[in-house]
Amino acid sequence: MPRLAFGLALFAITLLLVIIRPRRISEAIFALGGGALMIAGGFVAPAQAWVILLGEWNVYGFFLGLMTIAAIAEQAGIFEALALLAARWARGDARRLYLAVFLVGMGIAAFLSNDATALILTPVVYALVTRLRLRALPFMFACTFIADTASFLLPVSNPINIIVLSAFGGGLGEFLRYLLLPAAFCIAFNIAIFFWLFRRDLRYSYDISRLEAIPAARGFFRFTIIALSIICVGYVAGSLAQIPLSFISLGGSALLLAGAQFYHKLDPRRLGSDISWSLFGFITGLFILVRGIENLGVTAALGQGLVRIASVGALPAVLATAFGTAIGANIINNVPMALVMVSTLRGTAASAGIHQGLIYATIFGADLGPNLTTIGSLATMLWLLILRRKGLDISTMEYIKLGITIVPVMLLAGALLIWLRL
Amino acid sequence: MRILCAIGLRGGADLVRRALAVVSNSSPELVLVHVIDEGPRHELEHAHGPLHHGPRSHPERWHSVDVAETAAGEEALEEARAAADAAGVAVTTQLERGNPEHAIVALAEEREAGLIVIRAREHPELRPPRGPKSVGHTARFVVDHASCDVLLLRTD
Repeated sequence: MPRLAFGLALFAITLLLVIIRPRRISEAIFALGGGALMIAGGFVAPAQAWVILLGEWNVYGFFLGLMTIAAIAEQAGIFEALALLAARWARGDARRLYLAVFLVGMGIAAFLSNDATALILTPVVYALVTRLRLRALPFMFACTFIADTASFLLPVSNPINIIVLSAFGGGLGEFLRYLLLPAAFCIAFNIAIFFWLFRRDLRYSYDISRLEAIPAARGFFRFTIIALSIICVGYVAGSLAQIPLSFISLGGSALLLAGAQFYHKLDPRRLGSDISWSLFGFITGLFILVRGIENLGVTAALGQGLVRIASVGALPAVLATAFGTAIGANIINNVPMALVMVSTLRGTAASAGIHQGLIYATIFGADLGPNLTTIGSLATMLWLLILRRKGLDISTMEYIKLGITIVPVMLLAGALLIWLRL
Repeated sequence: MRILCAIGLRGGADLVRRALAVVSNSSPELVLVHVIDEGPRHELEHAHGPLHHGPRSHPERWHSVDVAETAAGEEALEEARAAADAAGVAVTTQLERGNPEHAIVALAEEREAGLIVIRAREHPELRPPRGPKSVGHTARFVVDHASCDVLLLRTD
């Protein structure tokens, strides 16, 4: 019993440090520290840790490729060009621009991951709408929300999807079978609600002559567009053929790197700083940490709980998984929550059909959950409280009100749609 | 009398005309100030996710944000300045960065303004015209902390 308590305490303290990030120390340091203590404490054997990490080669390779692709696309100015294109297409109407920002954000999230929309597109859109003298807040909300709402369109749309699918397999057909309808509903609902909520902000028009010209598609820019199109097709084809997606993302990034070198646009130092190397340490630590509590039987107990719920009916099990994962993602961050659920589902002896539904309910909950409190961790909430204290007009309640009113409806409808496909 | 006019991204020219209508019997000197709110920038700065750092690590991203904020602010000031010029009053403009409410109060003291003119909200149409939420936090702070008189424009 003390062993169980010690293991759980180690897990909880590590995740708390990951969330709080005292002195802004990288979360990777805490995750790796927690993982190392799991090994030192005998909760995970060194050989087992090694096997786990080797087994996740597809996840590591995919992340490296994905980050490289997004970094080179950014260097080529693709994000700015898309934002300008959206503003021109909108012809001075803030409502059309809002719709265009949603669509661009959705496309980027679908093929370059939710983080690319939330973190690369958002500042680009902020600069654009500020220049157009529109109120920036609705546009920033749009980017933040659509990043997660569109992150279960394809397996490559969210790192969580790759982590879960690497554990259980499953091609594009199966992915779309369960998640296409929930994605379509959530995206449409998200856009419609935001249009209603911000209807007064969107009454403005803007002067299209303030916009810069869209860069002519020449040289490296044109090459990048062609390469990205090939990569998008590659992702879809690779997912259909169940080829490990790391092959596509690493192959695509090699193509882009070769093009950047050919056009003398390769800046290795900048590329190096654009890639979040700490991610590898973060997930490595988490893989070991979660295996530690799995070895203690914690996730098996969670799995038994799920099986008991599933014995009542498939719908309660899908609902519990989707809502439980989403809420858990807001308490301990969505990556560790997804790993806990992977471990839980691995030990769940539900019937094959229900088991598959629970896998996709996990992806759905972990992907969408962060929108409950906008970015999905207690750290965000704490940070928003600090902002509020500083007297900024973006009130904590405004943020959380949006998430709390919208996301449960999406979770409920999405879970029902997954259940209908069982 | 020196009058400090707090100019938002929209409605600056209207604010100047109305300020001048109120003080039409004196010969005012207008100081038009637009403060670029650094709040959204801090928000973007703190954003980070598993796959990407926020724009904090990207000087180029910050530069494009800087350019956009400065261009929009200068344009808003120019519109307001045109209204002041049309009325034939002495006018200077100033573009500041930081927390708008603090910057407005500090600048009014620094320039020894006798009056601050500010709209109750930059986007008055977004809130009810009366009641606790009708005055935004910037205007409320200025009313609370300014050492000179404040003219609060509550209507469009």
